[in-house]
Amino acid sequence: MKFDLSILAKHIPFLLEGAWLTLQACTLAVIGSLVLGLAVGAMRTSASPLLNRLAAVYVDIFRNIPFIVQLFFFYFGLPEIGIYIDAFTTGVVALSIAGGAFTSDVIRSGILAIDPGVIEAAQVSGLKKSTIFRRIILPIALRASIRPLGSVFVNLILTSSILSTITLNELTGSAKIVASNTFRPFEVYFVLLVAYAALTYTVSILIGMLHRHLNRHQAEGAV
Amino acid sequence: MRYGDFTPFDIVLLLQGLGVSLALFVSTTLIGLVIGTAWAVIRFYRVPVLAQIVAFIAELLKNSPVLVQLFLVFFGLPAFLKINVTPTEAAVITLSGNSAAFIYVIAVSAIESVGRDQIEAARVFGLTRWQILRRVIAPQAAAFAIGPLTGLLVNQLQVTSLISVIGVMDLTKVGNILNLRTLKPFIVWTAVGALYYLTAKLVAYAGGRFEKRLRAHTAWRGL
Repeated sequence: MKFDLSILAKHIPFLLEGAWLTLQACTLAVIGSLVLGLAVGAMRTSASPLLNRLAAVYVDIFRNIPFIVQLFFFYFGLPEIGIYIDAFTTGVVALSIAGGAFTSDVIRSGILAIDPGVIEAAQVSGLKKSTIFRRIILPIALRASIRPLGSVFVNLILTSSILSTITLNELTGSAKIVASNTFRPFEVYFVLLVAYAALTYTVSILIGMLHRHLNRHQAEGAV
Repeated sequence: MRYGDFTPFDIVLLLQGLGVSLALFVSTTLIGLVIGTAWAVIRFYRVPVLAQIVAFIAELLKNSPVLVQLFLVFFGLPAFLKINVTPTEAAVITLSGNSAAFIYVIAVSAIESVGRDQIEAARVFGLTRWQILRRVIAPQAAAFAIGPLTGLLVNQLQVTSLISVIGVMDLTKVGNILNLRTLKPFIVWTAVGALYYLTAKLVAYAGGRFEKRLRAHTAWRGL
């Protein structure tokens, strides 16, 4: 069979619709996992052993169980206990929870990398605990962890393709439909693969630029 | 009549699924190790053209969803090349390639972690290129790589769950079947998740043990 991409031309609007859904799901999941990751990261670095333990268990569980199993757990399990939400919401929630585990790890190591002297200086200045966390710890930790956060988010974009298994027609799901309509699976999935690679590659370049920009005042080598 | 209850045979089924997952995990890891290391060696010797191609392929495989790669191999290749690809073959090809891409990155940085001066010293002693690679670089690079490699393998174990989508009878697929039969998603997916979790912990533990052995020569032995 010839490698012919022109047959895809009339399916591009449909694929773009899927891409739009992927974008929505990923944006919401990035926000969700960032919020969750910040909270859990703070718990993991807190002085309370109980919070610490709880957060560690959460991260341990969601990092060591495949995302597709988590997704099925939520997708099939939630209706069982009377919560009826659509596939999109389930997908975003599952992505956020799984992403939150990875994000919290990054944020935790960002917080642990802060020079204790900085925190001590803030403490002797008489700042409140919450102020220290918001104004001193978070800016430093977040700025230093832009790049690792970026790779977590790139992973999130790639993981979002799994949402197609719960009937959500995002980019991969709609490509599946196009492939079965045109009988040209090779061309469709090849284009899809290149599209995902280009997208995530661009995202990681942008993240790298952001990282360098935010850390431009740091010493050479620390960036 | 519906057979909606759990039977003792379900445990056998789950263990069978776990066996399939494990077998695929181990075999694709070994293939991936061989290919990934070979790619890294190609880069180490700076083979013209080939090194660039390898870098490009690895980048493409790392930056695209495994699910799409799986579809490309399972649905795309048979249609394009007019060959038959069974689900298991497609799974082996995809997972090996994906593992290879990530192992390539680890191997490259592991090789680079060995100082240039050591290589120069070895050259001065008249060692051949192969001897340098085998006797000087490999042992040190292996000790360096085992940590990141363990992390990668825990991740790759979870990636194997995706092959259930193309119909390989792995642990996730068994979970899916049990879920559809018994309609008890919480029990089924908790059991599946627990099995994955235990396996991931086992992989991490084995990696830790192996790392200790490889680093034994630098370990603190006491005075």
